[in-house]
Amino acid sequence: MPLFMIAIFGYTFGGDLREVSVFIVNLDGEGANGSISASIIEDLATRDTLAIVSLIGPENASSSEVASAISKVEKGEIWAAIVFGEDFTESALEALGNMRQGMPAIPSEIVVHVDSSNPNVAQAVVGELQISLQKTLVSEYGLIPPIVIDENRVYGEGAEFIDFFAPGVMGLAAMMVTFMLSIVSFVHERSYGTLDRLLTTPVTEGEIVGGYALALGFIAFIQSCVILVTAIVAFNIQIVGNVLLALFTIFLLGIGSQGLGFLLSSNAKTEFQAVQFMPIVLFPSILLAGVFWPIEAIPDFLRPVSYFIPLTYAVEGCRSVMIRGWGIEEVWPQLLVLAAFAAAMLLLSTYSLKKRR
Amino acid sequence: MNMAAAEEEFAILTKDLRKEYDGLVAVSDLGLRIRKGTLYGMIGPNGSGKTTTIKMLVGLLRPTSGEAFLMGEKVPAVRNIDRIGYMPQEMGIYTDLSVHENLELFSDMYSIGKGDFRRREAELLGMIDLEERKGSLVSHLSGGMRHRVSLACALVHDPDLIFLDEPTVGVDPELRVGFWDHFRELRRRGKTIVLTTHYMDEAVRCDVVGMMRQGELIAEGTPSELMTVTGAGNLEDAFLSYAGRARA
Repeated sequence: MPLFMIAIFGYTFGGDLREVSVFIVNLDGEGANGSISASIIEDLATRDTLAIVSLIGPENASSSEVASAISKVEKGEIWAAIVFGEDFTESALEALGNMRQGMPAIPSEIVVHVDSSNPNVAQAVVGELQISLQKTLVSEYGLIPPIVIDENRVYGEGAEFIDFFAPGVMGLAAMMVTFMLSIVSFVHERSYGTLDRLLTTPVTEGEIVGGYALALGFIAFIQSCVILVTAIVAFNIQIVGNVLLALFTIFLLGIGSQGLGFLLSSNAKTEFQAVQFMPIVLFPSILLAGVFWPIEAIPDFLRPVSYFIPLTYAVEGCRSVMIRGWGIEEVWPQLLVLAAFAAAMLLLSTYSLKKRR
Repeated sequence: MNMAAAEEEFAILTKDLRKEYDGLVAVSDLGLRIRKGTLYGMIGPNGSGKTTTIKMLVGLLRPTSGEAFLMGEKVPAVRNIDRIGYMPQEMGIYTDLSVHENLELFSDMYSIGKGDFRRREAELLGMIDLEERKGSLVSHLSGGMRHRVSLACALVHDPDLIFLDEPTVGVDPELRVGFWDHFRELRRRGKTIVLTTHYMDEAVRCDVVGMMRQGELIAEGTPSELMTVTGAGNLEDAFLSYAGRARA
């Protein structure tokens, strides 16, 4: 267990962001060859922080492609759309000439339409662009002309790290409390004989599991309310979307997590074995679900594990509601995963209780 | 005997009831015929199969083979479930709830109306002599008091057939006498009680005693019959005599 814990921690803690999906729309009139925009794009492609999902232009690129790329950001399909303007190279070269002659230079512009619901990712996109700008221009021209990176935040205008953390902490706290309470409660029920007594009453296994789900789901809901109110009052977090939808997301996670605790506990041969499930489930969830750093910062070989962790979907759903202001029509995939997780856990818990006989 | 007649006469009937765990026999082909209104004591050392038998009868464990009938219904007795009371060895009460809350919780599980519950609670609290501690948390009660609460919870729905697994373990002698008074009172009211104990001396108070050893019922009869047949002066000696015969 300690080896497992330190291995996950070592591989995930403070990892660099990789493969942040971006679209690039290059409207630069200078064409593909010899333009500054092309050199910058070429340099961006040499590193793996950004994954250039699509490169449009310079031929046949139009402003409609820009609108289409922004729409991809709005839908959450990509993190950013990087747009080089029509006269980008021309303006930059003109500015370079002016600088060499000691004349004032008018800056040219790169517009980054970025989803800042995750400040780490937004910073990485702009940071990578700045690195490529400096490398390209210094190596080719020996000077850096004034180029402005205009950051247009599609989501998360004014969002800070606390806004990013709050949904993650809500989800994590709900999962930890419901999972641990359900394991501890079930161990208690077993060792004190109350489970045996319950199973000899007219109450069915399904009702026992359902009772646990409602009680612990309610605890998760109340706990999330407390975290939310504290975060708003003490840390002034901003919530763009429907708070009730965010709480409902946590409620589903709470039901599923308690079901998982119940299932593992009922299958454990001893109370000691049941308690050992706690770190096995909680530790990867804390580190791999995108609570403290983005999924994009998790190494490739561990990233698939993240998509098997329900907390990943709860955190993603909650962030989308609270920072992006998304509604049910956008977060239904996350809700569906969480509902399926909750339903599966409840059914398996009920089956597991029946199987104990 | 036809099934209807058997249902009329016997609270418990088992046929070749057997339970194995990974090939290890816990209860071996048990045949029990316990008449209604009997105070039946199942005695034997630890590991003799008493608790496994009770758990199979109340539906907590599925037999490996054989069958059992409670009041004419094959186990698990779903139709008769509210006529059966069970007190597990571990007491099975919530220590973070009060005496009243425990009783109310289990009465709710049997869908007992509030009015009926209030009457039943007063009656049970009187029986276990805990009226004054009705509002106390169970965790604040002594071990003996917890046993009494556990017994009350098993009786809250006024069952006809009551299974008590080691009800007097850890109970002081004075309280044990009180418990046996309760058991006799319940039997007087027509209830069938099956209890397990490894205190041979107290089993002499039962109407019928079944002696178990290594999963087998080695002897059954009234305490006096068992002592007479073996020529023993007490049930413990009678048990040792039967155990010696079983070994031979």
